[in-house]
Amino acid sequence: MEAVGSSARARSRRGISGGRIGAWIVFIAGVLYFFLPLVATLLFSLRLQPTGQAYVNVLVDDDRFTSTLIYSGLVGIATIVLSVLLIVPTAYWVRLRLPRARPYVEFITLLPFVIPPIILVFALLRGFSGPPFHLTGSHDGLNVLVTAAYVVLSFPYMYRAVDSGLRAIDVRTMTEAAQSMGAGWGRILWSVILPNLRVALISGAFLTLAIVIGEYTIASLLGRPAFGPYLGQLGRDKAYEPAAVTIVSFGVTWLAMGMIAFLGRGSRQSVQVAGAR
Amino acid sequence: MAPDADIVPGAPARPGRRFGAAWLGLVPFFVFSLAFLLIPVGLLLAGSFADAKTGAPTLDNYAQLFQPQVVQAYLTSIEISLVTAVVGGIFGFLLAYAVILGGLPRFLRTLVMTFSGVASNFAGVPLALAFVFTMGFQGMVTKFLLNFGIDLYAKSTGFSLYTKLGIEMVYLYFQFPLMVLIMAPALDGLKREWREAAENMGATPREYWQRVALPILTPTLLGTIILLFGNAFGAQATAYNLAPLVPLVTTVITAQISGDVFHNPGLGYALAMGMVVIMAIAILVYYRLQKISERWLRA
Amino acid sequence: MTTTRSLPRLLTLGAALVLVASACSSPGGSGAPAGSGGTGGGPTWTPDATLLAAAKAEGELNVIALPHDWCNYGDQLKNFKATTGLKVNENDPNAGSGTEIDAIKNNPNGGPAAPDTVDVGYSFGDANKDLYQPYKVATFDSIPPEQKAADGSWVGDYYGVLSFEINKDIIKGDNPKDWKDLLDPKYAHSVALAGDPLNSNQAIQSVQAAALGNGGTLDNAQAGLDFFKKLNDAGNFVPTVAKQGTLVNGETPIVITWSYLALADRDKLKGTNNIEVVIPATGKFGGIYVQAISKTAPHPNAAKLWEEYLYSDQGQLVWTNAYCYTTRYSDLVAKNVISGDLKAKLPDVTGTVFPTNDQLTAAKTLITGQWASVTGLGPLKTPPPAP
Repeated sequence: MEAVGSSARARSRRGISGGRIGAWIVFIAGVLYFFLPLVATLLFSLRLQPTGQAYVNVLVDDDRFTSTLIYSGLVGIATIVLSVLLIVPTAYWVRLRLPRARPYVEFITLLPFVIPPIILVFALLRGFSGPPFHLTGSHDGLNVLVTAAYVVLSFPYMYRAVDSGLRAIDVRTMTEAAQSMGAGWGRILWSVILPNLRVALISGAFLTLAIVIGEYTIASLLGRPAFGPYLGQLGRDKAYEPAAVTIVSFGVTWLAMGMIAFLGRGSRQSVQVAGAR
Repeated sequence: MAPDADIVPGAPARPGRRFGAAWLGLVPFFVFSLAFLLIPVGLLLAGSFADAKTGAPTLDNYAQLFQPQVVQAYLTSIEISLVTAVVGGIFGFLLAYAVILGGLPRFLRTLVMTFSGVASNFAGVPLALAFVFTMGFQGMVTKFLLNFGIDLYAKSTGFSLYTKLGIEMVYLYFQFPLMVLIMAPALDGLKREWREAAENMGATPREYWQRVALPILTPTLLGTIILLFGNAFGAQATAYNLAPLVPLVTTVITAQISGDVFHNPGLGYALAMGMVVIMAIAILVYYRLQKISERWLRA
Repeated sequence: MTTTRSLPRLLTLGAALVLVASACSSPGGSGAPAGSGGTGGGPTWTPDATLLAAAKAEGELNVIALPHDWCNYGDQLKNFKATTGLKVNENDPNAGSGTEIDAIKNNPNGGPAAPDTVDVGYSFGDANKDLYQPYKVATFDSIPPEQKAADGSWVGDYYGVLSFEINKDIIKGDNPKDWKDLLDPKYAHSVALAGDPLNSNQAIQSVQAAALGNGGTLDNAQAGLDFFKKLNDAGNFVPTVAKQGTLVNGETPIVITWSYLALADRDKLKGTNNIEVVIPATGKFGGIYVQAISKTAPHPNAAKLWEEYLYSDQGQLVWTNAYCYTTRYSDLVAKNVISGDLKAKLPDVTGTVFPTNDQLTAAKTLITGQWASVTGLGPLKTPPPAP
């Protein structure tokens, strides 16, 4: 900064402060757009008399809220882990050594958008309802199937997040530097690439968790005791309780994401250490 | 854990060399996709060429795609997806920029990122109802505005939540945050040194954006807009529960496959194959745009 | 999953118990006053020992598409579990009839997601006969012949009529008494369907019912389409999918829905919202659902046991308490299982007409084909070719 001329400094400072006001305007507009529907839902949920009864009904008097949320949370974690294990090496490999595979990989990762879940789940049921892979025969098998389906659903988000994360770091230089120090592929991915993808992985994990928590069609057709089907049934049966569940689950998911972000923060250190920039 | 750990140990990291072996690195991904995605898609493809009742091979399902109302459903879906992808992309980018580089307090950044994670998948009945409670005929905002003599639902405004516009407004609720989530890592990757270097060389902020930041961000920007397009294109429950009269491909598919009413899975599969084709075209357009933009930005 | 203790549900259950008690406390039939406080009693189902043992050997029952507040299925499941000790896997409670059929087709080799029994719309009975296994419950003979398959491959279970569910906090003055009344300007932006005619049988049948109230016949639903066009032109139609949330919020203060759903909502919302239910004076349209056991049921004996329970006096009374007219209704009345009080509580459905499968199919073709163009709401202006 020492070398920056005074005029340049003034210019950049003006740019920054002007930008800051703009940033606040954008931020506040966003807050209004995002929070008004939530506030309306909250107010609606409070109309059931006595005030708050809707929350008592779902949180205290009905154990399905907690049990289904825990189930979906666990499936969500399994999905995130599996998705990261599949996507990170793939995206890394495509970027580093196989750019010509990119269109195929991108196409596959975008397919889940255009395959409606109802079709995906019917196909999975058909494909895995008999030998050689009879997964629909037991609850464990169905749990595997639902996780696999969610990993597929997470592809678009996870791949895009990881790929844009990889784009921002110099994969080649890092890899070469690590290789020159004798690191193998596993070690490169684990201690060089993964730590540098922190922000990308966190956003991919957010998206994945949120999909799993809210998903309805696949879970219900596989008969899983998941949160989506519970919410769906409640929406049909009740007036105020669904709004209460919406608010609470929004809050709980937000909190869970906060925890992921907090946990992710710890690895910041290793970014600096391992970063081969 | 790395599936490709021992495949090409110590191979020089240069693309194109040892072509065959390099593809082995993608085996886990392709095997998984084959089992849980591509084979299902294959069944769907097969189903689209079969008569739903008899199972006999037929092209009938595809012939039906050209009925006016099916074409209309595709057009509406594409329009809604495009509009919300572009609008969501622009404002999502601004929001991501505001929190990452806009000099807002740092804690806001975590809040916005985590909130985006939740909001990006807030969909279906709860989202539709949230907007009904907000902007519906008896909605909170509608009633609030009445206090100031503004009648959203006056004949002159022509406004209704149960239209294409309404669906677009609602879809943005998950489109913005998705953009924020994907753009944030990319913006985060813009290194401060680059900006300082540019400034040291006397570049204006505009020049910096044009010559440095945008070329780096453009592929991600375009890629994310494709993602938003797909995100809206595949959505169903939200639109159906809000405004069932606005015809979307996904609603038509659901009606054919799982509804009480039609139950003609063959046509449903053909409709889904149509979506696959449109998505493929969208991806081709994206590659084309990316090439053009690279040339344009270099010039 | 077995312990759902929400307050409204407990209240409903309590009310049901009281009614059951009152129904049975006086075998003479004149009916004890409701709320007389008698406990226990009521017709209790005793499972056949052999069938029960066979079902217990299977251990589980898989059901699909049974929302707990739909016709009191919550209590049905609870009672069945309590009596038999079987574990019940409840799949997709909100599934439509088409999905139920697909669930059978897609799970030919069993597993928790393969339904043992289904509860589907009338038109899904005969059409899918080869997916069902015939079984005649003990009370089979007491069901009218037109409401069952002769071989027992499917059996009608309950019905209601299409009614107006009205939020009185919004609709302050007179209630609409008949279909035509819905056109009144005072019901501006008020009337909604509980589904979309392109996706939901209930919505199609609402249009068909409106035809009956507007000079049409079961064979010709065009009058219903014309009626909804007028309703829309008058600005009275709200083009969304009505739910309890939109009803009580006032967005869709008049919802056209099955009488048993509307009446159950009214009871549930008592104290918070003032809901009234009107059975239209003309055009009483009966919608009947049917029970069937899947041919590939992984637990065929548990399935039979479940059917035996549903068609026992106890099971029938649980449905009736939720305002569902069961197919054994006349038999129950004749046997004095249904008390005078319960009878008085039920909506007046005299003059209800039941469409045949052919009439349903014809109306479905007409309505789904013309819906968008007739209402002029969607951008679809061209009527499709007949399927």
